[in-house]
Amino acid sequence: MTTTYEELASLALEEALKRGADHVLVRVQEKWYESITYDCGVLKSYSVGRVTGLGVKVLVSGGVGYVYTTSLNREGVLRSVEKALSIARSLNTYTKVGYVSIKPVKDSFKVSVRVDPYDVDPEVKVGLVKEVNTSSMRKDGIKSVITRLAYEVDKRYVTSSDGVSVESEVTLVGFSHTAVAKYGMVSERVSNSKTFVGGYEFIVSHDWLTFTDEVDTLAIKVSQAKTPTPGTYVAVLDNEAVGLLVHEAFGHASEGDLVITGSSVLRGLVGGRVASELISIVDEGVVDGGYPVPYDDEGVSKGRTVVVNEGVLNEFLSSRYVGSRLGRGSTGNARVQDITYDSIVRQTNYYVMPRDLSVDELFEGVSYGIYVVGRGASGGEVDPSIGTYTFSIGPSYIIKNSEPTELVRGVVVSGNILETLMSVDAVAKDLKVITNVFGGCGKDGQTVRVGFGGPHIRVRKLVVGGL
Amino acid sequence: MIYDILERSLKLCSRYGFNEFEVYVVDNVSTEVLGSDKGVERVVSGEEFLVGVRVVMGRRVCVYGGMVSRVEDVDVLVSSASKIVKTLPEDREWVSLPKKLGSSVVEDVVDVGIKDLDLGRYVELVNYMVRKSGDVDRRAFTTDANIYLSYVRRVIANSYGGVVEDEKTKASVSVNVKVVDGGDESGYSESYSGSNLSRFNPDELITKAVEGAVRGLRSKRVTTGTYEVVLMPRVFTSLINSLIAPALCADQVQKGRSPLKGMLGLKVFSENITVVDDGTYPGMLGSRCFDDEGIPTKRKVLIDKGVLVGYLYDTYTANIESRESTGNAFRPTPHVTPKPWISNILVDRGSYELDMLVRELRNGLVVYDVIGMWLSNPVSGLLNATVANAVYVEGGEVKHPVKGVVITGDVYELLKTDEVVLTSNKEVLGRYEVPAIYIPKISVAGEG
Repeated sequence: MTTTYEELASLALEEALKRGADHVLVRVQEKWYESITYDCGVLKSYSVGRVTGLGVKVLVSGGVGYVYTTSLNREGVLRSVEKALSIARSLNTYTKVGYVSIKPVKDSFKVSVRVDPYDVDPEVKVGLVKEVNTSSMRKDGIKSVITRLAYEVDKRYVTSSDGVSVESEVTLVGFSHTAVAKYGMVSERVSNSKTFVGGYEFIVSHDWLTFTDEVDTLAIKVSQAKTPTPGTYVAVLDNEAVGLLVHEAFGHASEGDLVITGSSVLRGLVGGRVASELISIVDEGVVDGGYPVPYDDEGVSKGRTVVVNEGVLNEFLSSRYVGSRLGRGSTGNARVQDITYDSIVRQTNYYVMPRDLSVDELFEGVSYGIYVVGRGASGGEVDPSIGTYTFSIGPSYIIKNSEPTELVRGVVVSGNILETLMSVDAVAKDLKVITNVFGGCGKDGQTVRVGFGGPHIRVRKLVVGGL
Repeated sequence: MIYDILERSLKLCSRYGFNEFEVYVVDNVSTEVLGSDKGVERVVSGEEFLVGVRVVMGRRVCVYGGMVSRVEDVDVLVSSASKIVKTLPEDREWVSLPKKLGSSVVEDVVDVGIKDLDLGRYVELVNYMVRKSGDVDRRAFTTDANIYLSYVRRVIANSYGGVVEDEKTKASVSVNVKVVDGGDESGYSESYSGSNLSRFNPDELITKAVEGAVRGLRSKRVTTGTYEVVLMPRVFTSLINSLIAPALCADQVQKGRSPLKGMLGLKVFSENITVVDDGTYPGMLGSRCFDDEGIPTKRKVLIDKGVLVGYLYDTYTANIESRESTGNAFRPTPHVTPKPWISNILVDRGSYELDMLVRELRNGLVVYDVIGMWLSNPVSGLLNATVANAVYVEGGEVKHPVKGVVITGDVYELLKTDEVVLTSNKEVLGRYEVPAIYIPKISVAGEG
């Protein structure tokens, strides 16, 4: 972050305090996102976007105002401070908002980058995407392919009137491929992507033709596959499927802002059993493979939060405001998409802790079931107030006599998260956490990067939709 | 500042010697009032300037842009775009940017009450929505209530000499309600969105949310099997948005990712289904004078009595087929390459009263809300959604509420039979105006 930005942040902080704010938090952000898309052998887009601006949040007698501006100059900042104060004063008759106190901190974090993606010749980046995309288009059975290369550099600076001064810079690079295959009247698509925390060196070190060949081959096979018979199955879930399930169906319900408004199925259950004793779930700021969040957007250090300990609910995720309403501290989970939003409680890297079984042992004894594979999953949706969830899963396999056998398409699973986690009877040791530069977690109109995952697990009862 | 940015960008683009160029500038002023069970908690407000430049050299095309802090920031955007575009391969399908820009007359797209924001009024409104639920039913309380208001000015110009500008307001209101009764709990949300607040009735919104939450109490699953189903307007809207709208977009059709490819002139749905896209319809969320590359919006029939009669085009996809854009170029933000998407979707009403349809159900579900419809697959047409709020009807009588079952099917099979019928009442939901729909047969995964 440049000195100018820090100076503007200091200006906002000092002016707000001078004009009567009880507490001030200032965020400055500069973010670049570049995306190259090839669609069926044609360069569909080469687009670059930039987000930059400053947001100031003030607390006056319990009222809160947050105002942002993209006008990064003295006038723009002072105007924002004045407006934020005006809003906060007008709200203090409605509610009294409080914040838990935190220790002053000054720190900086930067992801190690050997090759800055910005410095790589556009022709080189485009050439790679083109080669892979056109190669896929030549395969029999493949009707359409989209290949993307993207990177993101997100620089953030947070400062507050209680001594926070934290900056971070995170670089992500990723490659994604979607193939559509047609067999008879059936068209099916399969997607896969890989994202790395770091620079272009990760793109150079991978064999993307092999990666996309696997996607294409699977698309061709799955277009010839059947949909599963609807019903309730014994299910083995792979790392990505576990990550999706736990992030969407349990993670959101463990976000403290939903708990305090009565919108979470987990409300009032701290200390109670919410899952099989084999299940422990954590939210951790910095973890291998995940999206690094060393500090949240309120400048609170994000360590490891044990949400579920051997089946017992231990802690909710919180921010400084939500922590005050819960009567607890902040867990460092206040996050924003960008400066045009105020922070809300979000997950960082949310995952199931591994245990000691091998993956093969989870299949043992399953005479008929389903192996739920997360790769290529479209995502999921949950009603956290009642724990209902649904996920569209990637191509998966019917399990027969302890072996994954027949490939099936169009798999959608659903259920109640507490019932599902209570019915977990086996957890493997193969922990894997991933993140994604092409997408993230959506909540209240904001998308943030997250990490998710876990080991393979086995569930005794899972509702599966199909034709 | 919006015109300073435009002027400077156009001048710079002229100097760089691009064959074609386009500049798109947006000034967005927004305010959001957020309330929880405790009342109004905070207000988020701000203004952002967004710029996108699309530059063309030969058939090489690059889109570059983002937020700008000052007018001079566009210098970097244009020079970066210039550097990149020279290195790109040619797009053999590229023909040109729009050669003629224009603007339609669209009514009710600026709400003065939003443009000249009286913040206190909206703070009071959120506070009212927080308090009101308990008055409708003492078992109910509002968990959160929000109002998002914005005033947007847009200006687009390109190297063919055209300039178009417009202004628009947007309003989105949402409320989540929870009902606690004995040991059971149920939640439901309602929302309103449009270009203005003229149709917004907070009492009606809260009442519907409370009724939905109460309806969900003591829900249970039905057994796995085949059922008749009535999808209420918000569920039918979700189905169209996830499965049918993508399949109507020309880019998906041209790339072989739409089941509607090659189906023009053929019957694809029940004869009772007629679908229109209309960006000029007054006051709806998708109403605007021109699309995201400056082509006037217009009304066009897409499905006529079950027969596919048209797709949605932007300039790029229209040029590929040597036809006119339908004014459906869409960009979530100016620095993104445009592609076709819906403006407002209007589905013709049917002749059935909802009560009559429900009375005629032998073994069916009336589905008020689902989650996960967006996870359906528009490439294959496979519908998948989990029922979040429904009732089971047997012999015309409502037996019990239902949730947690999965509805599945090929949407082109589900909606093809002429037994599919629509209700006479429609609802406006954001970009959609649709009735409820009866489908005679759908697969349900539940118990067993």
